[in-house]
Amino acid sequence: MRSLLAIARKELSVYLTTPWAWVVFTGMAFISSFFFIASLLTFKQVQDQVRQIPGGWAQVPPDYQLFRNLTDGVVLNLFGVILVIVLFAAPFLSMRLLAEERRQKTFELLMTTPTRTIDIVLGKYLGAVGIVVATLSVTLVFPLILSILGSSESGTALEWSTVWLGYFALVLWGSTCMAIGLFVSSLTESQMVAAVITFAVSILWMLIRAIAPNAEEPVRSILSYLSFDMQLQNLLKGVLDLRPIIFFSSVIAFFLLLTHRSIEARRWT
Amino acid sequence: MAMIEVENLTKKYRDRVAIDALSFTIDEGEIVGFLGPNGAGKSTTMKILTGFMPATAGKARVAGFDIFEKPLEAKRKIGYLPETPPLYPELTVRGYLKFVAELKGVPRKQVKSEIERVAAVTGVTSELDRLTGTLSKGYRQRVGIAQALLGEPALLILDEPTEGLDPRQRREVLDLVKSLAGTHTVVLSTHILAEVKAICRKVLIVHRGKIVANDSMEALTKGKETGLEDTFIQLTSE
Repeated sequence: MRSLLAIARKELSVYLTTPWAWVVFTGMAFISSFFFIASLLTFKQVQDQVRQIPGGWAQVPPDYQLFRNLTDGVVLNLFGVILVIVLFAAPFLSMRLLAEERRQKTFELLMTTPTRTIDIVLGKYLGAVGIVVATLSVTLVFPLILSILGSSESGTALEWSTVWLGYFALVLWGSTCMAIGLFVSSLTESQMVAAVITFAVSILWMLIRAIAPNAEEPVRSILSYLSFDMQLQNLLKGVLDLRPIIFFSSVIAFFLLLTHRSIEARRWT
Repeated sequence: MAMIEVENLTKKYRDRVAIDALSFTIDEGEIVGFLGPNGAGKSTTMKILTGFMPATAGKARVAGFDIFEKPLEAKRKIGYLPETPPLYPELTVRGYLKFVAELKGVPRKQVKSEIERVAAVTGVTSELDRLTGTLSKGYRQRVGIAQALLGEPALLILDEPTEGLDPRQRREVLDLVKSLAGTHTVVLSTHILAEVKAICRKVLIVHRGKIVANDSMEALTKGKETGLEDTFIQLTSE
């Protein structure tokens, strides 16, 4: 347990000294603030238009109903964007996890101290999840701005329970990407190769739903069930659903197991 | 008591045999020179003894623990310096030693004093707050040795510890190793026979994966000044 935490702590502190961390933080802040402003403007436009309609919100088509409040109209919109940024950023965050240990020969150190392989895997993974949480927490500033400056017809400007559930979904999603990245990183010494493969796997898995309509049943249902995109939908809308949580936990556990097996197998070559 | 017992240890990389049925024992408190030409199987043997790599066949016991069956117990007894000192360039020397101490399970309260102890012994006290990535080769090597000494392991396995050091540092490292005699068992691999002559009382020579000599220093030098070189060259000629 102690070595697990030591590895996680080392991973985080080493990570914060690499330029990648700051590039990703900056990228996250820059891109998400761009979309934040864009969706704020849309939100304002719709609100202004609705005020000029005599019947008010009752006359507005259902597609526009989500612009009635800041939570649905701005924050949840933004989460959709952050989700995509995480998809692009995660491979760069996970690529060095094990690949770098191999390249610098520090892997020998981990394997010759009395540390179990499972502690190495979980320690690395815990550090990786910490990195994802750090990256996502950059975006907390947007809901904060809204809750301080925004207002609503009823109660608080933001529904914080929905916002937190959205963050939970994002962390879950980021953690899934990192689990895939950890496994890929255990296969190669090259960080670039690790990043590219991780990206390819996660984007294909995300978009697997796109080929579903052309497939026969039951393949179609299976494909859309397996797609990350499909699984994330409800959680990001603020609907607490147990199924995607179990789905992503299983995917994470599966990749951690693969990582464990891959580390053990590499010792034999 | 035997610190290392090796029986018929064999390692194959696909078809290539790296070490072929090695058998030897090393007693507690001995300083053993582990010699052989490049590619003879020295590093492979060390990697197996430290539990980094499993063997294809055979047995290895460290301090009575089978390295394959009870790896954690065996690894607790070993301090290992690999060929390349395993450093994280982003960490300071202190941070690095703290990390290794935690991995080795040094009791929390002793971590600080243990870091100061190994830093003093290896002469890196003045560099404790520098990043390991900015250290010179000599200092990297010393930090590597400091790391191996953490937690006072009974057995030290050092793979070419004097590689890349200047003559003064070389002497310091050798004096350090010599001072560990009696309390620690040391297995030292090197190419420099003069170093072995200066500090080891027992010598193990491997060639093409087989042991060609396992004897005391006196028996191998045959009383001559160049005796060890002669024996080494003769045994590893074919």
